[in-house]
Amino acid sequence: MDFTDQDKEIVRLLKTDVNRGFRLLVETYSKRLYWHIRRLVILHEDADDALQNTFINAWKNIGNFRNESALYTWLYTIATNEALTLINKRKRNSALSLDEIGSYLATSAEGSTWFDGDEAQLKLQNAILQLPEKQRIVFNLRYFDEMPYEEMSKVLGTSEGALKASYHHAVKKIEEMLGLS
Amino acid sequence: MKNLKEIAGKSPFVVPENYFEEINSRIIASTEGIEQVTPTKGLYLRMKPYLAVAASVAVLVLLSFTALKIFSPSENRGVIPTVSLQEFSDTYINDIDALTLEEELPAIASWDRLPDVSNAEIIDYLILENVDLDDIYEIL
Repeated sequence: MDFTDQDKEIVRLLKTDVNRGFRLLVETYSKRLYWHIRRLVILHEDADDALQNTFINAWKNIGNFRNESALYTWLYTIATNEALTLINKRKRNSALSLDEIGSYLATSAEGSTWFDGDEAQLKLQNAILQLPEKQRIVFNLRYFDEMPYEEMSKVLGTSEGALKASYHHAVKKIEEMLGLS
Repeated sequence: MKNLKEIAGKSPFVVPENYFEEINSRIIASTEGIEQVTPTKGLYLRMKPYLAVAASVAVLVLLSFTALKIFSPSENRGVIPTVSLQEFSDTYINDIDALTLEEELPAIASWDRLPDVSNAEIIDYLILENVDLDDIYEIL
């Protein structure tokens, strides 16, 4: 999660050979960012769109990337914003809400082709979808990506204390919803 | 029911076959022809050359002023213009206020004082009649 050697190599290449640098950046981060986005937007088509937009935005703004923040943090920030933009667009267009997507995954045949988790995982996903937006992002980043609070603070622009409290509340709510508390 | 930590495991979401093999080249292809945004400098960086010039000018002005103060002849400092007593009185004491007139009236008035009428009442009356206080003083 730190500013790794791989990131240093990408940043070096972006300055000397931007095309090679960008290719390496995509190869390194596409999978990780896909899963981060997918957990937020749930549907594959949405995740695919948001992922492409993330890298297009990164490509456009590579000149503005400064080494003050890690490449990883910078990309996660763009990806999170793209996912939220897509969710808001979904709300405006009166498409399936995230709540409805949960039951769609569980009940429809089409939904089940994109979800092969067991019953516990389905319940967990449905519980996560009940959380408020910001709390859901915090829970996903901590629980699935195991992102340190320090990094998360940079991605979401929120203090570490607030993030810890938010995660704690999210866990409590989910445990209650799953009957684990 | 499992513990919350035990549920995570592998991702329950499915992706199309070969998705991750193809997505990278699709992303690269989608950025082709897209212009990169020219790096924008922050306000401080943009203003830096102007700030440097302004600071240099300010230092030069300050140094010149200090040098002038130190090296200029001492007789030029603190000169007070000479003003005659007459000029001073003409300039600064040209108005007589009602209170002064009231105080001086008994000493300078040549008429017999009216019984039961105070000096203040006489002056108030003259002011109401639009008679200038300077004129009253002159006449008396």
